Amino acid sequence: MKKDIINLKIPSKPDYISVVRLTSSAIASNLGLNIEEIEDIKVSIAEACINAINKSSEINIQFEIEKDKLTIKVNNVHPLEEDKSNLNKELELGILIIKSLMDEVNFSEEGVEMIKYIEDGNK
Amino acid sequence: MSLDIDVKFNEDNNSWVVYLKGELDIYTSPELKETLIDALDKKDGNIIINGKNLDYVDSTGLGVLISILKRVREKDNNVYLQNIKPNIRKLFDITKLDKVFIFKE
Repeated sequence: MKKDIINLKIPSKPDYISVVRLTSSAIASNLGLNIEEIEDIKVSIAEACINAINKSSEINIQFEIEKDKLTIKVNNVHPLEEDKSNLNKELELGILIIKSLMDEVNFSEEGVEMIKYIEDGNK
Repeated sequence: MSLDIDVKFNEDNNSWVVYLKGELDIYTSPELKETLIDALDKKDGNIIINGKNLDYVDSTGLGVLISILKRVREKDNNVYLQNIKPNIRKLFDITKLDKVFIFKE
């Protein structure tokens, strides 16, 4: 199966993060993931968006759907920000949550890549 | 997608009892912070968060709870979390905040 790609671009505002959560739930549910896995994806992608907010005017999210995995890329997500006291603490929590809930997490110049593997036979 | 906040003071245990319904996220957490600070400005006491109808919390929501905890501890009070759903409790466990807050059934 070739990769199916869904792109989502939202204004960089708190108002639209719930839209991303709902979209992620729908995509993950379509793939036959269970409720806990869907919740993990929803929480992780929201944390990635929170990290990306205020860094540019738009947040780009890309879902790559393959037979055995769902890869989500979010631009402008970085593990460490310049020190902003309380805000920095929250960003750290967000990164910790993403790393704990997703199967694989890679950071690059561009942003973050988060992978959830799809196990066969539970559909 | 929203958060309903209902706050009542209970004289018996010197606590603000906070019923949350909906989602505590980057969009709604500033409102909770403002409401709780207003309440504590009016009267110091414990904060009891009832999460029976709370469906979702993100890192900004956790941040608000941490800052409120710091505030109430100045007066030797505490933040109690009650009836928190398993999907939310999971985030407290991951971030080790389960050691910082007091959970009640």
